[in-house]
Amino acid sequence: MKRGGWALIRSTWLSWMQYRSFFFILAFGWMIPPLIYLFVWSAAAGEGSIGGMTRGGFVAYYLVLILVNQITYAQTNWTVGDLIRTGQINKLLLRPISPIYDALASEVAGKVVYLVFIVPILIGLSFLLKPEMELTVANVLAFLPALLLAWALRFFWGYWLALLAFWTARADALLILQDSLVFLLAGQVAPVALLPGFLKTLAVILPFRYMVGFPVEVLGGGLSQADLITGFAFQIGWTALAVVVYRFMWRRGLVRYAAVGG
Amino acid sequence: MNETLITVNDLTKVYRVPVRSEGLGASINSLFHPAFSEVEAVRQVSFEIKAGEMVGLIGPNGAGKTTTLKMLSGLLHPSSGEVSVTGFIPWQRKPEYLRSISMVMGNKSQMLWDIPPLDSFKVLGEIYNVPKDEFKRNLDELVDLLDIKEVLVKPVRNLSLGERMKCELTASLLHRPRVLFLDEPTLGMDVSMQLRLRRFLADYNRASGATVILTSHYMADVMALCPRVILIHHGRLLHDGALGVLANGMAPFKMMRITLGRESVLKEELPPLPEGTELISLEGNTVSLRVPRDRAASTTAFLLKEMNVVDLAVEDPAIESVIDQVYSGGAA
Repeated sequence: MKRGGWALIRSTWLSWMQYRSFFFILAFGWMIPPLIYLFVWSAAAGEGSIGGMTRGGFVAYYLVLILVNQITYAQTNWTVGDLIRTGQINKLLLRPISPIYDALASEVAGKVVYLVFIVPILIGLSFLLKPEMELTVANVLAFLPALLLAWALRFFWGYWLALLAFWTARADALLILQDSLVFLLAGQVAPVALLPGFLKTLAVILPFRYMVGFPVEVLGGGLSQADLITGFAFQIGWTALAVVVYRFMWRRGLVRYAAVGG
Repeated sequence: MNETLITVNDLTKVYRVPVRSEGLGASINSLFHPAFSEVEAVRQVSFEIKAGEMVGLIGPNGAGKTTTLKMLSGLLHPSSGEVSVTGFIPWQRKPEYLRSISMVMGNKSQMLWDIPPLDSFKVLGEIYNVPKDEFKRNLDELVDLLDIKEVLVKPVRNLSLGERMKCELTASLLHRPRVLFLDEPTLGMDVSMQLRLRRFLADYNRASGATVILTSHYMADVMALCPRVILIHHGRLLHDGALGVLANGMAPFKMMRITLGRESVLKEELPPLPEGTELISLEGNTVSLRVPRDRAASTTAFLLKEMNVVDLAVEDPAIESVIDQVYSGGAA
């Protein structure tokens, strides 16, 4: 199992490096919206502060958000639906290894390709834009599990949505809806702390903040201990639920696929 | 002699084909209130295949061949009936089962498009848990048999269709499956590539003792490779046995072509033909006839006596035309 998994990652990565310019363009596209909001908010803050955040604070927040967004963006979810609809998933089903390893391999391989592109840009931007952030060891140590969970949540959440392709040809519409909700509620348009009351409550309860915004907030150190604990509790809860739903959808979907045929 | 490796009993597949209208609303609605119509793809098919056999599964498009193959390989659940392959129930998709089979689909690739086949082979070796030295031995042997040494390091997208199919076969045989399912393996190949693939499959079957089940629309594939054919039509098993027996059973007549010793002949000038004999065509001085198999001798004697025959040929009808008659529903 494990041997096959690593081999898949290696080969996917090799095959993606053939197209690095395409993936660079994708990564560039994903970077643009947060970059726009970085400029909007840092201009709005000017010399003062908004909701306790200064210009340098916004810059730091959005630069970290660009990184987190790249690392957690689950692009394989878009291809899983296609595999199911076109019947290409057959070749994966004939192998003695679960098809989710294929998606995981693409994830890991993809991250490496994106980071090769995005990290130098972020370093360049931080020299230009002068972010202000106090990094403490405690915050970094809390950030790493938050980031890993954010990736897992976004991956499994998107994966179960993609598995709807077993039942309907239009599952992609729900993925687009999810991307919009991430944009609105995950801290991209504005840090969750700055959202108006009703939206803020929604953001804290729904899973989307925990896919992107939460790790950024953790690293920034702006959360109280109580907020941190609640945040992790929500993040772990949503991730566990996403895994359970994925397993359920996979089993049911496969039965249906085997009944209807690909 | 050999053990029975595949048992199929009363295998039936009724597809529930989803019926739905367009639009997001309709598709969300169909999540909760799905509507279906039923299509019987395979009906009560039974057969047994012994280890080492090479069997051709033939039938027209939509006959149920691929559905049967998908049930045997575990991609589909049957609606009813039993299947056992190498001792497993295929659709449980146990890893040990999946390691004992392989399926090659002429229209689907299991190799990554952008990297050389060798890299894909290595990944498959890992996925199937083939020990390193065994992997190397198998690969060397297949590379040799299929003559693909040069293409191993070219990206797959730069390979020709024939080279790609050779690589597909290599990929599917690296883990030494006991059963090999081939769905249209020679699709789109040129004649000489078809011949080479056929020779390879025959050699491989003989040397490895692997059981091979193959579907093909090229009768030449089936004739060259499969001592036994299973004919499926409208989901039913119509014939299970030698192809020659099928042809004789389906086409109980011979084709007779005679050339007369004159420039041309008119239909009216022919003598009345014996009973059961049919005139197929008349071109210049060449007459083609269809004669009942059991009257071939007497008809030949009659023709030689009645007409000035300079050449006479008696042939079995082309297998393609016999099969065509079966496929299009008419008994020959």
